[in-house]
Amino acid sequence: MNFDASLWLIFILIGLATTLPRASFIVLGNRVVLPATLQRALRYAPAAALAAIVVPDLLVVGNELQALNPKLAAGCAAVIAAVLWRNPWLPFIFGMTVLLGLRFGFGL
Amino acid sequence: MSSSFRSGAREGFFAFLPLSVGLIPWALVMGMAMISTGFSPLQAMGMNVIVFAGTAQLGTLPLIAAEAPVWLIIMTALALNLRFVIFSAAIAPGFRGTGLAERWLAGHLLTDGVFATCLDKMLQHDDPRWRLGYFLAPALWSWLLWQVCALIGILATAYIPRQWSLEFMATIALIVLLVPMARVRPMLIAALVGGASATLLRNLPLRLGVIVGICAGIAAGFAAENLSQRSKQA
Repeated sequence: MNFDASLWLIFILIGLATTLPRASFIVLGNRVVLPATLQRALRYAPAAALAAIVVPDLLVVGNELQALNPKLAAGCAAVIAAVLWRNPWLPFIFGMTVLLGLRFGFGL
Repeated sequence: MSSSFRSGAREGFFAFLPLSVGLIPWALVMGMAMISTGFSPLQAMGMNVIVFAGTAQLGTLPLIAAEAPVWLIIMTALALNLRFVIFSAAIAPGFRGTGLAERWLAGHLLTDGVFATCLDKMLQHDDPRWRLGYFLAPALWSWLLWQVCALIGILATAYIPRQWSLEFMATIALIVLLVPMARVRPMLIAALVGGASATLLRNLPLRLGVIVGICAGIAAGFAAENLSQRSKQA
């Protein structure tokens, strides 16, 4: 795939969406205080966002829901490795082994 | 550079050094994931320097690859970065007496690991120069390590055949970030509801399903937390 110059604009916008939340209170100091309820609710944003990206990627093949597909099996292997061990490399090794094993070994 | 800045910097650097090893696989995968998405090495390094955020970079890559609308990419990046508003509020008192330019730099370099390492000392120590050193030394070190290792990942990917599906490493990386978060029950509920709604609503126009999924997940996690607190009090 080839990307045009608008890709750089997207980078800058994502950069702003990254740096502004991080710098917010450090730069503003104690002049502004976020409501406690909002702070508590926002804690769920990263988990919800990560799952909203990962789950469709694992379950959908060509816009069809597929309960059994190599990506889902590989994703489950990665989840199991991440739950059981703290070593950050193992989910990659397990996940990619399952994915490539199913694709090349069984032609899925 | 004052001697108190240097002594803060030395202490902060060595407190963070062992933790920083964990950045290496991330940065390597980040580099590989950007190339697998179809970026040129220059574009990949450009994103890495401009954005400097593992989660927001990895999370937006599939959307960029799918040519999703720009506002959706931005909203997703914001959602993935929202926790830093809370971190920023928590660590802000540590920057009393620090200049505006240094505050912006510190904000740009704020990461999960640096936040976790620096928070306590930043709030306890009295000397603003010592505090700034204690924050900036590990922050700049993680920036450097992140850029160098991502570059290694970028260059290594050129030697790996396409049918190895390396882009799936980005999905695994997101899973590795998600799993420790979801160990707490309301967080797990937020993830399950967010993931399920985004999957079911995937045919909404403009990929709105992702945003609806995120909002549903936040609401579900928040509701679950309130319910469990009420049942504890009862």
